[in-house]
Amino acid sequence: MTDGRPPGREELVRVVREAVADVLGIEPEDITETTDLAGDFGIDSLELMDVGARLETALRVRIPVDALTEATTVGRAVDLLRAWLGRQE
Amino acid sequence: MSGGRVRVAVTGMGVKCPAGTSVEETWATVLAARPTAAVVPELAEAELPVRIACLVPPFDWEPYIGRRELRQIDRTTALLLCAAADALADAGTADGVPAHRIGVHVGTGVGGLPSMEDVAIRHGARPAQMPVHTVPKTMANSPACRLAMRYGFRGSCLTYTTACASGTDAIGEAARRIRYGELDVAVTGGVDAPVTRVVMAGFARMRALSARGSGPGGDPALASRPFDADRDGFVLGEGAAVLVLERWDLAVARGARIHGEVTGYAATCDGFHIVAPRPDGATAAACMRLALADAGLPPSAVGHVNAHGTSTVLNDRAEAAALARCFGAAAPPVTAVKGVTGHLVGGSGAVEAVVALLSAGRGLVPPVATTTAPEPPGLDLVLRAPRDVGRRPVLSTSFGFGGQNACLVLSPT
Repeated sequence: MTDGRPPGREELVRVVREAVADVLGIEPEDITETTDLAGDFGIDSLELMDVGARLETALRVRIPVDALTEATTVGRAVDLLRAWLGRQE
Repeated sequence: MSGGRVRVAVTGMGVKCPAGTSVEETWATVLAARPTAAVVPELAEAELPVRIACLVPPFDWEPYIGRRELRQIDRTTALLLCAAADALADAGTADGVPAHRIGVHVGTGVGGLPSMEDVAIRHGARPAQMPVHTVPKTMANSPACRLAMRYGFRGSCLTYTTACASGTDAIGEAARRIRYGELDVAVTGGVDAPVTRVVMAGFARMRALSARGSGPGGDPALASRPFDADRDGFVLGEGAAVLVLERWDLAVARGARIHGEVTGYAATCDGFHIVAPRPDGATAAACMRLALADAGLPPSAVGHVNAHGTSTVLNDRAEAAALARCFGAAAPPVTAVKGVTGHLVGGSGAVEAVVALLSAGRGLVPPVATTTAPEPPGLDLVLRAPRDVGRRPVLSTSFGFGGQNACLVLSPT
């Protein structure tokens, strides 16, 4: 992201997996794009905000609350992020 | 026991304190009068004038708290949860008690203040970047509510903050809830983890902390010396203790092992000075008398006193005056645990309740660590070796900044 270009999908998946793993106290390898954050891990609203704060720091963007609460899976979170980052360009 | 009153059994105890990470380890350290004060490297690096404290020895958190939960709570809450897990395991399962009849009553002197200090230092310049969990982590009722959450207890969940009397007040108020018929079980105790640069410096600025043991060649073990003529202040510590209180008849019916009984409790306030105790000890003595009256016991029934005994000049003198007022010439033997543990603020009253109840049940009073020359001389301090006083009720006292006085009477079964 040092070149100022928006990160690719693969890069976004890595960043989201790391953020989620850190918040849930697990390893990034334990998370796939289809991991159901609420169903599999019972992630709560506060933890989602924590994930959001980490993504904001890593990606240097401001993420709206709606985008976070709709992020029920890692794949969905990445899609939302891509859409959001695209809109910001 | 006065007739017809609901009795309150202690069926579980758990301790994470400088003297040990289990009840028996704590008992052994206190009985051996081994001081736990030591130089804290982080305080020394900050070049604080007082750099000694009593910390909980390292133990394995893994069986108690997962990585995910550990990220969301601070050391204060973590210590309380660990002590509570031990206490509940010790009590065994009280199957059949509805969740709304189980309450959580916790005392803490400074609560989440140490973790707010950490946030302020790390993120003060850019507060917008502070951790999301800052508020839920630092709020004063976090330890009690995390405990209730973890086990799904739905009865009253209350946090008492009466400075150094917090743990004692929590236990006494919890016992009342059972007596008054509101709860069948209360998980209660006290906790603080205040050994940080800012909190330490704050107490040091008041000259409340012992200056011994922080300089070159000094011996931290000599700093906390309750009721010693040479005392010069307390040693700050950290830790938690939790007791499971249970309606007597329910505990008996399920065949629980009963450690003892909370028979009396009272609280008064000096209404005098924001930190100094009333020198004549009058309101502290009134608190002692009220607690004994609550237990329906005459002063002569008390086998020993587990004193607040902070090792400050003012506290110990006022407490000795209060003991003389309450007991007259026939004062029972007195011990003070802080020579070993230091002062755990809200944790102390609860750790001392555990030690006091063990002493009462085993008829053996631990000696005051380090102290050699009692002041005032008339005080019957237990020194050098444990003293056999028989299995009799104990008066456990706590006095806090703000003029907070709290006393418990604990009786062996």
